[in-house]
Amino acid sequence: MFDLYVLLGLIVIGFVVGQFLERRHYRSIEQRERELIGLATTTSKRPIGVIPNPSRVELVEGACVISVDYFKRFVAGLRQFFGGNIRSYETLVDRARREAVLRLKATCSDADQVINLRIETSSITKGRRNQIGSIEVHAYATAIYF
Amino acid sequence: MKYTPGLPEKNSNVSHEHPLREFFVLVIGATAIFLAVMLLLGLFVDYAVRYIDPELESVLFSGFATEDESAPTEQEQKLQALLGRLSKCVDVGYPVVVSVTESDQMNAFAMPGGNIVVLSAMLDKVETENGLAFVLAHELAHFKNRDHLRGMGRSIVLLAISVLITGANSDISALLTPVYSAEAAQYSQDRESDADAIALGALNCHYGHVGGASEFFELITAPDELSDWSLTHYFSSHPEAQSRIDDLHALAERRGYATE
Repeated sequence: MFDLYVLLGLIVIGFVVGQFLERRHYRSIEQRERELIGLATTTSKRPIGVIPNPSRVELVEGACVISVDYFKRFVAGLRQFFGGNIRSYETLVDRARREAVLRLKATCSDADQVINLRIETSSITKGRRNQIGSIEVHAYATAIYF
Repeated sequence: MKYTPGLPEKNSNVSHEHPLREFFVLVIGATAIFLAVMLLLGLFVDYAVRYIDPELESVLFSGFATEDESAPTEQEQKLQALLGRLSKCVDVGYPVVVSVTESDQMNAFAMPGGNIVVLSAMLDKVETENGLAFVLAHELAHFKNRDHLRGMGRSIVLLAISVLITGANSDISALLTPVYSAEAAQYSQDRESDADAIALGALNCHYGHVGGASEFFELITAPDELSDWSLTHYFSSHPEAQSRIDDLHALAERRGYATE
């Protein structure tokens, strides 16, 4: 009986706090995306358009680690029985990818173009049992200064 | 080629459905499936128990027989004699042996193999013979109804299922175990009430009245300070003592038993 109260408590805390933090993070992401929209960022191997000789070319990167909350993990655990999209993890990876790209752009906000953007995702906990899972997203690219 | 910056109007990488919707759909679905499976397996156990006759039972559960080979104490002989007299009113169909075990808890158990174990605190506190007779008749009723086998069969089924589920995800079993407990408790409470009714009949048959039937329950009606919010009633294997006393009185009145 006590186990059930603990479980419900963790789920409620996970949901309330997790949703609050997620909304706040999304607001921050959207605001920074608007601020940094002027920095042309592509996955192209070559710069876009005709450009003069670049004065500086450098490797830039951004990474972030985001943890799943108890509520999301519980729902995902139930999903493992029935199959289907693990919707509760979608926002987790979406936030992590966008945050990593934003951090990358923030390191070279004076650059003229960012090309060859690559994103890699890895799981920190490697699915170990009874551990809250978290993911790392690493974005790397080449920043060009004309 | 010209680069035109822009932000997507809609984020199609995440679903926009409320997360609680998925939660409730999954929890209700998992609970319903689990309950259905447990009910089916419970019925299967009830069915299988009918095919375990007393001979097979004593072979299967010989390991449960009390190891104590020493001669029965005076106390045990008295209880055994009382049990023998009551057996004429509750026909179990095979010999039942009663033994006493030292303990400060007040309880008695019907064990597979035809053993009734009475804890010594019961003998210290229950004063009248009628009170003890009701407890013994109640355990006899469990043998008659084969409740001891049903209870054990259900525990085995639950153990098997929870091992399977725990193998996949321990959170799920933390969620489903109380669901099962509530279902099992309801079943068990029904069996207990049934045994109470048979025991009451046995008391009336033996003594010609049912005085003292509720003595044991009156002794254990301690105020339960947690019961208001802890939902323990729904998870308890036995009905609350007070409601059992009320049921006994109501039943005695309905059947027209004398109370002393």
